[in-house]
Amino acid sequence: MRLSAFFLLPLIVALQGQVAAQQGKKKNEADFVKEKPAVGEKLPDLTVYSPDGKEVKLSSLRGSHVVLTFGCLT
Amino acid sequence: MYRDYGPKGVKFFFIYKSLAHPELAGNYVQPFTLEERLAHARQAQKQLGATVPWIVDAMDNRLKHALGDRPNSEFIIDPKGVIVRKRAWSFPAEVRTDLETLVGKVEKITREEDVKLNIQLPLKAPAERGVVARITRPRMQAIEMKPVIKPKAPPFYAKLRAEVDADLLQTGEGKLYLGFHLDPFHEAHWNNLTEPLEYHLSLPDGVKIAKSKGTAPKVKAASDSDPREFLLDVEEWPDDKPITLTVTYSACTDKTCHVVKQEYTLNLRRDRDGGGARGVGAGFWEPEEFARQMLARSKRNDGKVNRKEVMGLILPHFEHFDANKDDFLDLEELKVVSEWLNKHHQPGAPAAKPKK
Repeated sequence: MRLSAFFLLPLIVALQGQVAAQQGKKKNEADFVKEKPAVGEKLPDLTVYSPDGKEVKLSSLRGSHVVLTFGCLT
Repeated sequence: MYRDYGPKGVKFFFIYKSLAHPELAGNYVQPFTLEERLAHARQAQKQLGATVPWIVDAMDNRLKHALGDRPNSEFIIDPKGVIVRKRAWSFPAEVRTDLETLVGKVEKITREEDVKLNIQLPLKAPAERGVVARITRPRMQAIEMKPVIKPKAPPFYAKLRAEVDADLLQTGEGKLYLGFHLDPFHEAHWNNLTEPLEYHLSLPDGVKIAKSKGTAPKVKAASDSDPREFLLDVEEWPDDKPITLTVTYSACTDKTCHVVKQEYTLNLRRDRDGGGARGVGAGFWEPEEFARQMLARSKRNDGKVNRKEVMGLILPHFEHFDANKDDFLDLEELKVVSEWLNKHHQPGAPAAKPKK
């Protein structure tokens, strides 16, 4: 069956969009990895808080592997 | 992963930061004080239902700035405090691979279906929404805005969101959005039995804004929780001239009503921690847009999403929305989800559960 340009064009545009989005994600990751602080550098020793308001120094988390993930309500 | 690697000594923390998308489901707004941000973090803990502990960034957003300013980035730190992995966007499958390399494999992997999360719903406002028509604002960016916080003064029941269009940011001439959004954490609604909200801009020399004073329209209903919004034409605003904004309004909690006068300083500079408001009128989901955003989560591109691909808020009600019982939600089913979210997950919404 031969697909007409009428059907092919939106398909190509959609695929190009997906490819561009993937490339954008990859570039974002590549840029992020190059930014400071880089892998191999120390986590800055900043003071943040526990949800009940107690101060937490990031250096106090040392001693084991730590996974930190940023997030918020929306 | 927390259940698998916690016993192996790995610590996990979510970092609570400024909102990436204010005004989405729950109509949360950026907090002004640390106490308010801590309350956000405690609410996030409830809404996510996860037992992973949170730590909360300071109000100067120091940790977000120090670690690259991304909304959902992820870092693995070794026992000496050295960053050993970083990625711009959290990717749990890759974290597992990383931890298998760094710490070792676990005997039994905990799957999503093994975890029973106690997910709770967003906060609701104490009065109806959808009473006052929203301004559908063009694509805009938050600008730096500083509330004048006075000790012992009432809280900012309504919080200003100030945004400008690209023209204003680049040329000093364009559109300025002023939105006064009730903060659901203060459980207050507008008191429409008295004078409506009024704002006043004190303009320094060289700044020209057509409506430097404005009053929100009178509302027939005794109370509501919709934002009070204004879209102003700015003729001239040099970026070195801050503007002082004063707002007066009456808000009520379940105990008492307060007439408050509050002040802000506005600067014509992009607020990189302000986040991007989303949705129609930035508060409600547009069904088609919502459904397509959900479908984009599927890697299969087959026009439907499964349980793992929907947002956590929907998960407890998945069966209800799966009208054709095929274990997937398609475009039409997701549109129904959007209508349900608009009706039940905006502050002031009457009920949380869909009717069976």
